[in-house]
Amino acid sequence: MKTLFLKDMRYRQARVVLTALGITVLISLILLLGGIMNGMRIQARQYVESTGADVWISAEGSGGAFIGFSMVVEEYMAFLNSGPGLVPDSAAPLVFAQARPTVRGKSTKAIVVGYKLGQLGGPKSTVEGRMFTGSNFEDYRPEDPVPYEVVVDEKMGLEIGEQITLGNEKVRVVGKAKSLMFVLDTPLLFMDVRIAQKLLLGNTPHVNMMIAKTNKSEQPAQIAADLDALETIEARTLKQTLRDIIAYYVDEPMKAVQFLRVMLWLAAGILIGMITYVTMLEKTQEIGVLKAIGGSNGYVMGLLLKQVVLISAVGVLLGLMLSYVFAAAAPIFVLINFVESIIVACISFVVCCGSGYLAARKAIAVDPMIAFRGEI
Amino acid sequence: MAAIVEGTGLTKHFGTGDATVVAIDSVDITIEESELVMIMGDSGCGKTTLISLLGCILTPDAGQIRIDGEPIDPELQDMSVIRREKIGFVFQLFHLLPYLTAQENVMVAMDLAKKNTAEAESRATELLTQIGLSERLHHRPAQLSGGEKQRVSFARALANRPKIIFADEPTANLDSRQSDNLMNLIQELRQEHQTTIAIVTHHEGLKENADRVIQMKDGRIVAA
Repeated sequence: MKTLFLKDMRYRQARVVLTALGITVLISLILLLGGIMNGMRIQARQYVESTGADVWISAEGSGGAFIGFSMVVEEYMAFLNSGPGLVPDSAAPLVFAQARPTVRGKSTKAIVVGYKLGQLGGPKSTVEGRMFTGSNFEDYRPEDPVPYEVVVDEKMGLEIGEQITLGNEKVRVVGKAKSLMFVLDTPLLFMDVRIAQKLLLGNTPHVNMMIAKTNKSEQPAQIAADLDALETIEARTLKQTLRDIIAYYVDEPMKAVQFLRVMLWLAAGILIGMITYVTMLEKTQEIGVLKAIGGSNGYVMGLLLKQVVLISAVGVLLGLMLSYVFAAAAPIFVLINFVESIIVACISFVVCCGSGYLAARKAIAVDPMIAFRGEI
Repeated sequence: MAAIVEGTGLTKHFGTGDATVVAIDSVDITIEESELVMIMGDSGCGKTTLISLLGCILTPDAGQIRIDGEPIDPELQDMSVIRREKIGFVFQLFHLLPYLTAQENVMVAMDLAKKNTAEAESRATELLTQIGLSERLHHRPAQLSGGEKQRVSFARALANRPKIIFADEPTANLDSRQSDNLMNLIQELRQEHQTTIAIVTHHEGLKENADRVIQMKDGRIVAA
């Protein structure tokens, strides 16, 4: 009877459904956590890539671009803007700082991007409204008053003309930029570098980094290495900067989540192993009877494994589907990579089947004498 | 008549050291073709252990078993093959699979022997009809009475046309009417199928149905 294992499963349907659901939830959580991390990586990359910069420069010992602060030294800017291998006048200061502006009376999380209008670091145009008024300065000292204006992410839901509070000052929304959310859907607020210094950095001539573009004929890696060889600055390529920013904003904070993913895998394996084992205990007498009337170990093992494989397959497939549903409904950007999800599903399937196999191996050791004793 | 099952010098111990119990002590036994044998004795005298040895479920510590003239060697032979091809078992607690119907429970034995499903279905129907359960083919064990469950259990034991059926206290969970009906059925099946049957029982009233009674005490046969 090829359907013997199915009849047994139907008889124990509550347990079968609960086991499959348990696996479904665990697998979808594993995939969802991976999707959240993927989403964070993509969001971390997209702003950095959107700047169009090839070289990322910060003061030696500052901790690096996006992490520490560097004093803007006019001489260095002059050097960079005429520096070997860089596009003339492409070097631009950039403030990239986490902030908590008050929006419609509610404190919210945002990243302030302060850059020089028309230069690298932020959008050159808006999808609605206009760009902020740029300060016009020869050197990089912060005194150069311009209106407190900001271009917000189009997905923030703010209207042109609205005001937000930042650093105890009212800042007026003058435009909306194409959505470019940072990690965990943190919106970017684009403003003049001088205003960012005044509102967030105590009006000091500090920036997080300077960015520049290399000549097309030059290798950015070589230019960055040459600049890095100078004693007072650190220079990174786009690739190095992406690696640094992903490590700083995603991988390090998400180490616990990675650990949790491994734990969830273990939990999925233990779940099916335990349930198979408990079911086996409940079925000890049946297994003993099957063996007593001539069932080989292979027959009994086959019966149990078919159930384990089917429950695991259903659980993993439902988990796979559910993770995409959850990802679509999540309040933050979640991107489940299809290839990764297939790999996770396959590994999860193997883990579940493996633990079920271990429990089934225990089951086939049942002594057929149990059929005579009538007890476990 | 030819011997279907022969045991020579069978010995079986359980436990180790001071806790060792001699369950079967140098037993010689022969059960002949078409015989109905009752194995009787007090609780713990070794009746069930003896049929477990003869039914190739337990391996003797010493002695030799022959079934249908062939010596059994647990080291060289697959005991599960011998059990499904040559032996039928009936248990005190019936032990039908709860998720299968009466017909499917009988078919399982043939499934183990890799019989064709259509053939198994036909044989199961035939056996269950013969024992008066043609109306109960598609009932699950929970829907059957004790007597009906034990009949299905006998049909399952007969499914692969075994050389011998070992029944362990088959009437212990039946009332006297069901018990009598079952013994009548066993006699009919024996006539019909020419099957050799060995029944372990406490029930003195069943003696009259037996061709021979084997009396056991302390792991030995004291009368046969």
